[in-house]
Amino acid sequence: MKRLVMLNVNGDLYEVAAPVHKTLLEVLREDIGLTGAKEGCGLGECGACTVIVDGRPILSCLSLAVEAEGKQVLTIEGLAPGGRLDPLQKAFLEHGAVQCGFCTPGIILRAKVLLEGNPAPTRDEVAFALAGNLCRCTGYQKIIKAIQGVGQTIAAR
Amino acid sequence: MKHYRILGKRVEPVDGPVKVTGGARYTADIVLPGMLYGKILRSPFAHARILNIDTTRAKGLPGVRAVLTAKEIGRVPYGFMIPFGYPDDECLLAVDKVRFIGDEVAAVAAVDEETALEALDLIRVDYEELPAVFDPDRAMRADAPLIHEEGNINARTSVLLGDPDQGFKESDEIFFDRFEIGATIHGAMEPHAAVVSYGPDGSLDVWAGSMGVFSKRWEFAKTLGIPESRVRVHKTYVGGAFGGKIHAYRFEILAGLLSMRMSRPVKIVLDREEVFTSTWQGFPIIVELKTGVKRDGTLWAQDFRLIADSGGYRGCGPLCTFLCYQWHCSVYRIPHLKYEGFSVYTNHPVRGPLRGFGHPQIRFAIDSQLDRIAGKLGIDPVEIRLTNVRRVGEVLPNGDVLLSSGLEECIQKAASAAGWKQKRGKGGNRGIGISVGSCLSAAAVYPFGSAAEVRANEDGKVTLLTGAAEIGTGTETMLAQIVAEELSVSLKDVHVLSGDTDRAPMDIGQFLGATAYTTGKAVAQAAREARDKLRDAAAGVLEANVQDLEISDGRIFVKGSLQRGLTFSEAVFAAMAGGFGPILGKGYSKVMEGTDCYPDVRTGKGRYSPAYGYSAVVAEVEVDTESGEVKILGLTSPHDCGFAINPLGVEGQVEGQLSMGVGQAFEEVQWEKGKILNPSFLGYPLPTSLDLPEMKAILVEAPDPGGAYGAKEAGEATIAGVSAAIAGAIYDAVGVRIRKLPITPEEILKGMEANRRKGFKGDKTG
Repeated sequence: MKRLVMLNVNGDLYEVAAPVHKTLLEVLREDIGLTGAKEGCGLGECGACTVIVDGRPILSCLSLAVEAEGKQVLTIEGLAPGGRLDPLQKAFLEHGAVQCGFCTPGIILRAKVLLEGNPAPTRDEVAFALAGNLCRCTGYQKIIKAIQGVGQTIAAR
Repeated sequence: MKHYRILGKRVEPVDGPVKVTGGARYTADIVLPGMLYGKILRSPFAHARILNIDTTRAKGLPGVRAVLTAKEIGRVPYGFMIPFGYPDDECLLAVDKVRFIGDEVAAVAAVDEETALEALDLIRVDYEELPAVFDPDRAMRADAPLIHEEGNINARTSVLLGDPDQGFKESDEIFFDRFEIGATIHGAMEPHAAVVSYGPDGSLDVWAGSMGVFSKRWEFAKTLGIPESRVRVHKTYVGGAFGGKIHAYRFEILAGLLSMRMSRPVKIVLDREEVFTSTWQGFPIIVELKTGVKRDGTLWAQDFRLIADSGGYRGCGPLCTFLCYQWHCSVYRIPHLKYEGFSVYTNHPVRGPLRGFGHPQIRFAIDSQLDRIAGKLGIDPVEIRLTNVRRVGEVLPNGDVLLSSGLEECIQKAASAAGWKQKRGKGGNRGIGISVGSCLSAAAVYPFGSAAEVRANEDGKVTLLTGAAEIGTGTETMLAQIVAEELSVSLKDVHVLSGDTDRAPMDIGQFLGATAYTTGKAVAQAAREARDKLRDAAAGVLEANVQDLEISDGRIFVKGSLQRGLTFSEAVFAAMAGGFGPILGKGYSKVMEGTDCYPDVRTGKGRYSPAYGYSAVVAEVEVDTESGEVKILGLTSPHDCGFAINPLGVEGQVEGQLSMGVGQAFEEVQWEKGKILNPSFLGYPLPTSLDLPEMKAILVEAPDPGGAYGAKEAGEATIAGVSAAIAGAIYDAVGVRIRKLPITPEEILKGMEANRRKGFKGDKTG
């Protein structure tokens, strides 16, 4: 049984017909066509599905789409409106922190929330924030350096 | 040392922008009109006869479009993409028996995933359970349940070098150890998936992330009976592969079969549990190693017995037993060696290549014993390795020549960078250990070489067409750098079209350490030909001799007369208008000229690889003596990649290998009678950002004359040594010799307790 779900994603309003048990991840990927959020495990264990809802990092594979109604959802596609890369995105490129890229959207969004609350995190603080985002390719080192790099730039200003 | 404009410079990944903005398409992101969703029914039994399959209720479920079993498709043989002379022992869908929990029995296509899953529940399979065998030692015995009619030993590599019996007589000391290494999983973040679409014109379109699009095309063509030229493997980015996404799994080909039946695209995406249970795992290996040494630490004679557990089907077992021998020979010099490697069936999932392919497993065994030998002889572990490692110019027993080797440099740099002398033997429950690794740089596997094309366009920018796939290792970036270098343009003016079998005639693939070495050469040649054509076209317009023309920064001009020149754009237009034709360069590089076949995996004879990448790893640990937990304090690894085309990328590869290696040392697949008890990231935790120390990747360059600009592999030599280095460090810390992977707190505590009872720490004497 489907019902109309109203979602605000990246500033755009979507009206989606979906069963109430459909997850936010499924609706984003299948109904809205934003495939940047990934399904790595479907159980909330890898973080690849991370999106930002009302400023907080959410595991979208464990959230129902209906729970996001009336809230602001930000996916990786919404981070660079008009094509101007966010400092985090630029830092990931500069530091070579992207290899296969599958974990990247989730990690960038998680890092964005971290920096909003803690603009100049230490290495340990970054590592702690990322503990729920798995990466098999990079060993996290360049990712942490990229995030700290953005933090230092913010601090310098 | 040659100086380049852009080769050897740290550059940002060219596929980075599309990945950080969410625009990169992976297989599961593909949606096609009319697409159906497929699911696979898998055996719940480790060993059973199939008595009957009833699909009536499943077929009758609204929304179900097809249900396939062996009854519908027949016995369709299937096996690893290189058979090595062995018959296929697997079928697309099990016919009369299932041989592991997860063995594919039926395939369903429906209008959506939920319906497909519901249909699986409606398929009734009557099984008769058979006695199963899970221990490879036991499987080799005459009284073991037969998994396949021909017997449970499915492949064997036997090599005899020198005279081991005599060698042991000449040895000053003899050591024997037995090691057991368990299964591990790749853990790529992207679950396996395939979208396959059969067209009314008999063509097949495939989206299925792969390390080798031409291998995948070949497997689809061969198994489905469609000519290769009508099968197109499209580009998708790959969310990690590590050896687990090379050819086509059964479920992918089944998606093709379903598509052929329905004339509609079919998408199958494995869930994470299926990835754990039904895609390749790293080979569990038993090593029984008897080694004779001279008093000065020279390895002299060895009796090396290896048992690889290939699972319910042969897969690439024959390759595993050969490679374990070949990796061994590429690192240490052993004048008298008897090697016997067996690939054995057990009722487990099928095993396959996992980064390093056997090397991490055997290195743990060989180097742990070598550390024990060093301790007994009073020789430093660094020194004993320097005594025994291969040097440049040596010829391996199979005929491979080491035209380059940075192995000694790697060992020395690892030791000094990590502070070996200051940290070794210092106690305080802290320790330091060292190991080494190697990996091939190209091998003669279909399609035996790479071809590429470079085009200059009207806009003055350049396009590279290559069949190489971007799996995260920086393929597109390094190949773009080569084009930018040869054509003297900036990196942003090179557009890479990669990973599609329609874009290039062939590519050797990204699973043989050959991207830089072989594809790099094809790309360089293509770029040079395009450059020459630009010069030729411009010569006409500028009324100059070709030899007097220079190319720099997107312009062709007369030497010493900068203004007398053309931009690339002008040259391309002039070439079109003047009848010169398109500015198109082609390049081709064959792996190992003069060799047309793969070595004999049964005897180890025949050339294998033209070059080897090398590495050393130093690990520093702290052992919690109450819990047995190990904390990794430091990891240092110099990697000899010949020439680092993109040092930033190579660093990323080394850091990634160190972290994956730490994983392999501690990750444990928990089994109960063929069933994986922990098929999830919660039960099988991969290293997180909290688990890894500062990692020091050091680039060593021993350029190989056969590689593009001297480049060799950069993705696998390091991971081989990580487990062994960690185990060596644990011994240094608490005097416990680990002989099993994964390393567990229980084993460490047991070892410490044994030390207390003995009254001393360390290996027992003799």
